[in-house]
Amino acid sequence: MASFSVPEKTIKDILPENTLKTIVPQEEVTRAVKTAPSRYRNEIAKFIVHRNLNCKRCGKCAEVCQYGVHVLKPGYKYFAEPKNHLCIGPSCEKTGNFCVAKCPNGALQLKENPLFKALGDYRWPGDLILATWKMAETGDVPPAEYGYEYNCGNSGGGFDRLRFKFPDKPPVKIDADKIDTSISLNKRGDGRPEIKIDVPWYGGGMSFGSVSNVTQLSKARAAKAWNTFTCTGEGGYMERMRPYDDHVITQVATGLFGVREETIQRVPIVEFKYAQGAKPGLGGHLLGDKNTPAVAKMREAVVGISLFSPFPFHSVYSIEDHQKHLDWIKHINRRALISTKVSTPTDVDMVAVGSYSAGTHIVHIDGGYGGTGAAPDIAKKNIAMPIEYAIGRVHKFLADEGVRDKVTLIASGGIRSAHDVAKAIALGADGVVIGTVELVALGCVRCSRCESGRGCPRGIATTDPELAAKMNIEWGTQRIINLYNAWRKVLVGILQRFGMKSVTELRGRTDLLMHLDYTNDVGAKK
Amino acid sequence: MNEKIIKQLAYSRKQLAEKLNHSSDIRKEAEEGGCGVVGFCCSEPVPGKHIYEPSRQMHNRGNGKGGGIAAVGFVPEQLGVSREVLDNHYMLHVAFLDDKAQPEIEKQFITPNFDVAKSTMLDKVDDWKTVPGLEVKPPDVCRYFVRVKPKVLDAFIAKNNLQALDRSEAEDEFINQNSFSLNQKYYASLGEKRAFVLSHGHNIMILKVVGFAEAIVKYYKIEDLCAYEWIAHQRFPTKGRVWHPGGAHPFAAIDMALVHNGDFANYHSVTEYLKQRNIYPQFLTDTEVSALLFDLLSRTYHYPLEYIIEALAPTTELDFDRLDEEKQKIYRDIQATHIHGSPDGPWFFIIARNIARERKFQLMGITDTAMLRPQVFAFCDGEVQVGLICSEKQAIDATLHSLSKDDKRICPVADKYWNARGGSYNDGGSFIFNLEKDSAGKMRISCTDKFGRAVPMPTAAEPCDFSQEPSLSSEDEEEIQTLIGERFVSGNGMAIFEMIRDVVHEWTFDEFRFACRQIVNQAKDPHKATLAIEVLTLLNDRRYSTGSKKRSHILHIVRGELNLLFWNIPNIGVKNSYDGNHRLIDFETRGNLREPQANETTLVIDAANFAPEGDDCDAALLVDAYIKGWRRFISFNCIGQRFIGCGLGPDTDDVTIDVYGSSGDYLASGIDGLTINVHGNAQDQVGQITKRGKLVIHGDVGQTFMYGAKGASVYVLGNAAGRPLINSVGRPKVVINGTCLDFLAESFMAGDPHNGGGFVILNGVKFDDEGKLVALQQPYPGSNIFSLASGGAIFVRDPNKTLVDQQLNGGFFAKVTDEDWELILPYLKENEQLFGITIEQLLTVNNERCEPTEVYRKVVPAIAAKVVSEETDDVEAELSEEPIVK
Repeated sequence: MASFSVPEKTIKDILPENTLKTIVPQEEVTRAVKTAPSRYRNEIAKFIVHRNLNCKRCGKCAEVCQYGVHVLKPGYKYFAEPKNHLCIGPSCEKTGNFCVAKCPNGALQLKENPLFKALGDYRWPGDLILATWKMAETGDVPPAEYGYEYNCGNSGGGFDRLRFKFPDKPPVKIDADKIDTSISLNKRGDGRPEIKIDVPWYGGGMSFGSVSNVTQLSKARAAKAWNTFTCTGEGGYMERMRPYDDHVITQVATGLFGVREETIQRVPIVEFKYAQGAKPGLGGHLLGDKNTPAVAKMREAVVGISLFSPFPFHSVYSIEDHQKHLDWIKHINRRALISTKVSTPTDVDMVAVGSYSAGTHIVHIDGGYGGTGAAPDIAKKNIAMPIEYAIGRVHKFLADEGVRDKVTLIASGGIRSAHDVAKAIALGADGVVIGTVELVALGCVRCSRCESGRGCPRGIATTDPELAAKMNIEWGTQRIINLYNAWRKVLVGILQRFGMKSVTELRGRTDLLMHLDYTNDVGAKK
Repeated sequence: MNEKIIKQLAYSRKQLAEKLNHSSDIRKEAEEGGCGVVGFCCSEPVPGKHIYEPSRQMHNRGNGKGGGIAAVGFVPEQLGVSREVLDNHYMLHVAFLDDKAQPEIEKQFITPNFDVAKSTMLDKVDDWKTVPGLEVKPPDVCRYFVRVKPKVLDAFIAKNNLQALDRSEAEDEFINQNSFSLNQKYYASLGEKRAFVLSHGHNIMILKVVGFAEAIVKYYKIEDLCAYEWIAHQRFPTKGRVWHPGGAHPFAAIDMALVHNGDFANYHSVTEYLKQRNIYPQFLTDTEVSALLFDLLSRTYHYPLEYIIEALAPTTELDFDRLDEEKQKIYRDIQATHIHGSPDGPWFFIIARNIARERKFQLMGITDTAMLRPQVFAFCDGEVQVGLICSEKQAIDATLHSLSKDDKRICPVADKYWNARGGSYNDGGSFIFNLEKDSAGKMRISCTDKFGRAVPMPTAAEPCDFSQEPSLSSEDEEEIQTLIGERFVSGNGMAIFEMIRDVVHEWTFDEFRFACRQIVNQAKDPHKATLAIEVLTLLNDRRYSTGSKKRSHILHIVRGELNLLFWNIPNIGVKNSYDGNHRLIDFETRGNLREPQANETTLVIDAANFAPEGDDCDAALLVDAYIKGWRRFISFNCIGQRFIGCGLGPDTDDVTIDVYGSSGDYLASGIDGLTINVHGNAQDQVGQITKRGKLVIHGDVGQTFMYGAKGASVYVLGNAAGRPLINSVGRPKVVINGTCLDFLAESFMAGDPHNGGGFVILNGVKFDDEGKLVALQQPYPGSNIFSLASGGAIFVRDPNKTLVDQQLNGGFFAKVTDEDWELILPYLKENEQLFGITIEQLLTVNNERCEPTEVYRKVVPAIAAKVVSEETDDVEAELSEEPIVK
């Protein structure tokens, strides 16, 4: 043996390339904001303006309205149906521009839209849905006149009871363009790529099957534009997503549907999904209705059969099994970062530290506020620890164990707004994963019928080709790009008020938060 | 045991706990994982260094934050006591986390209560930092040989009204309560933990550290300490900062040590059950609870071992129905009484016991009813006997390898390897090695299952004397030389194998060894290497009669010669002109990896020194070599390395990998085109998500085989463990010649077998000791087959119709048609080619040739599934490769 010359290089160094990935050309997607109005002529509005036959077409209403509700198209004799979704309601009386009051003929009436009252729920009130639509349309927050509450919901718990304690004046003035909202996803320093994303969030796992291919592709292209990620979920990796490979996370989940070596080798991040916060301990399920021929082909299963992913992995019953599992995927893709997605049981801190020691780059804790309509109601919010407690607990435990700066902590489950993002980070997360909000940007009305194949009236969470065709990819992409732009603005605004140059400075600053249940400070600002 | 005494015992414990102010809070100290466990017993005492190697190999099942070992049955001279003291005194091992605690403890708990025959501080290495694998300084340990002072014992019996109890049992209980008090005062109730009892019992020792288990052997200098039984445990607690080894395994009860691989889901329920019986954990881990549970059932309730095992791992479902009526009645009562104390979730126990009153040692493994943790048993018979229980086969191999290096009478290949079927009616999910003196006064091992039935061992008993080189007369040598030499001219591997196969039973070991060496010598001619490898491989893979010679010893010879042959291949690190097809590479020369040159086709990887995973593992080297253009691989000398064949990506149809030795977990998981031949048993998680290709296993395969697989043709000579082919989709075609533990093809979703979908053929046969094919009593004893399946089919060779409706949960029996037979016939033909299991043999029942439709039965999913043929062009368009941006 001694006579051998042993080069000092490691095996990795002498490789022509470190990976067997087949390269496909990556498509560029621009981040620019472009208006992307609703797909529907009559978007759901908060108010309804009714014009009666007394209208003499004098044009006074169009003259006073600052928001373009009343339009008389050139060459037309009658006014068009009022554009209700642009109306800010009776509050313009204050400025003296209230069309109802100004109409000389009393031809206009204004009332609250009964449909709006039915829209949403406590967690996702109608205001938040409409505001999200506006953001997705314009790329900016809705003008203040509309009075939408878009930072919080009305659930009476979770992030909705948390508020920031903003200083009266920023301690230092920082220009918006000097603020860094990027976060790093690899803190291990293990020689794997140091991936950074430009905004502290990425898109959550929604499979082809749970949502349409148009939805998946829109998410992926937006992720590409914003240099962040989207996740395939469990259920295969469409060939059509290949041009965005570098911004895709693929999931290894308990059913192993659609997971192949090749799909693992395509991506920079592989996510192990052990559980979902919306339904911990229940595995995954795609009901038979959604298992169309295309979905079945992708998953190589039988058409029309409900597909269940077990809980947990049949091959992982312990932490050292988990490490072995990670090692396996790390071996198949030697440049990939690993994310471990778990729900928030009472010992979530132990789970997080265990995952870290098993070699994960990202610990992703998923709380119970999220979940689309496909997650059973009995499970949502009712199992596991609320995410706002879990984040703090895990953050602190990781810090106590001395490994907080070697792992990226991502939180998810009910992140609906940029304020939720900031709150999660202030509680101790590095960043968040979003899910439902992207669907809302695409026009979701939160009717909660996601589990049914032809149930999605908006053609988002469907696998029915006809329904899916109600949306096109470019529009979908733009809506999500716009939403991200609006969110980033809000986030930058928050950081400016705290005088922080980087979003990383906000991490773990629970001192900047207050919980409305535990404070007498009624003057808490939003 | 009469009820009154049980009550009295329980009452005494209650009073003690109350006196010590024990908190009855139920909580758990830390989460921990499955961990690695190993245990072995030997008919002669063997030194501690042999627990070192298997422990080291199980590193990746722990994280260096907790390791422990236990030993039972010492040699009195080594401990400096007489035989009488060793047999009759209690050995008490106390760990001092605080050196100052010792005098206090002796004053309170030792001197006033015990007659101490001897007390010694355990010898240790001066500087703990010089011992690799230790995280913090291990505790100082004192060993006391004690008996309870008669007056103290009298007072104890009187105070607790234990007069009816056998005096020696009362003494056991005193020891037990004394340790409980000591722990309560110096460990459990204190924020600062100062000392605790490691073990208490006759002829038994437990040591633990914060670190890896093998560090104990070095630190406490017990390399040469001999014992009949050894167990070791590598722990993986999730809490990062651990400063003392109190929570590490093994855990002690009187005369026993227990290690545990798994994690209860019902820790709280079991703890509550114990609390109701006045038993209180102090270390707050589920392993301690397990030891307490076993101790309660055996020492307090005096249950026979069978009932203890039933209380822990209840017999359920069809297995219960298959018990005889009397047993059902008893088991029903046991379950009704103890189900709340039955650990739920994944667990596997290894227990070393000393049954002091019967002068008998025991080593046993018990698996949970659902068989969620891996477990392998093995036995080596002979002049020296060895019984082994491990979480993975590689640890068995490592142990035997280590033992055989010291003692040539022990063969590194065991006579028998097997799994237990948890909570089953046929073995009860547990096997017990009993060590006791035979009529000649020699310690011998017998192996029984839960029901006390002896486990049959191979009958061929003639051992090979490995301490001697083979010696033959020159005529004999010449004869064999000619025989082999001539056959190698013609160049048909199968013919050479068959020639040898037919004479092996007549040959002596020396003749066989000489013949194998001749084959190795033939391989020195580079053009004959492939042929020589083929012949030796067939001798390794195939089953044939070895006459009176032990088959395990024959295998050891063949494997040794194969290794020699591989080592003779020129190393890639040596520059020379060589026109053969093979090149050897090993860990030292891995940096010399290059493209194949000249005639080179096959890279031969000596896996021994490679890491089991990570950048320095042999599987990574294999991927690198593939990128460099190598397409054929031989991986030999494996000691549990993982991921072989993984990571090569799609379109690898031109790749073949042959694996020899102890292959590791996740082998072939993800293959997409390539062929892997495993020349021996395979471990756990084999063939997950495989897409395409071929996998041949010349032996048994472990847990969750082909989980989530999408395709590939797979052939298994032996058995699959629990949950094979679970969640499989697509088109896997699998032949399993043996049987499975349970849950075969649960949630199978592999389409329509007649339309490209997948299926499983289960033959339910095995080779007997003479190498003859025989049918198993039942092709599938498990309670669940094809549960919740929605696609595919299972073909079971079941001429006696032993499979019943009860075993199906979502499947139903369908008639086997001629079409079906045509479908499976090509796979059975391939199976015949690979293993020599002929279709003729499979179709012969009771010496009568039968129709396939009479021999095979078919299980299909109950859901009348729409099949994939419904696909339309739209599907293709929807999933088309062209990105469409509207």
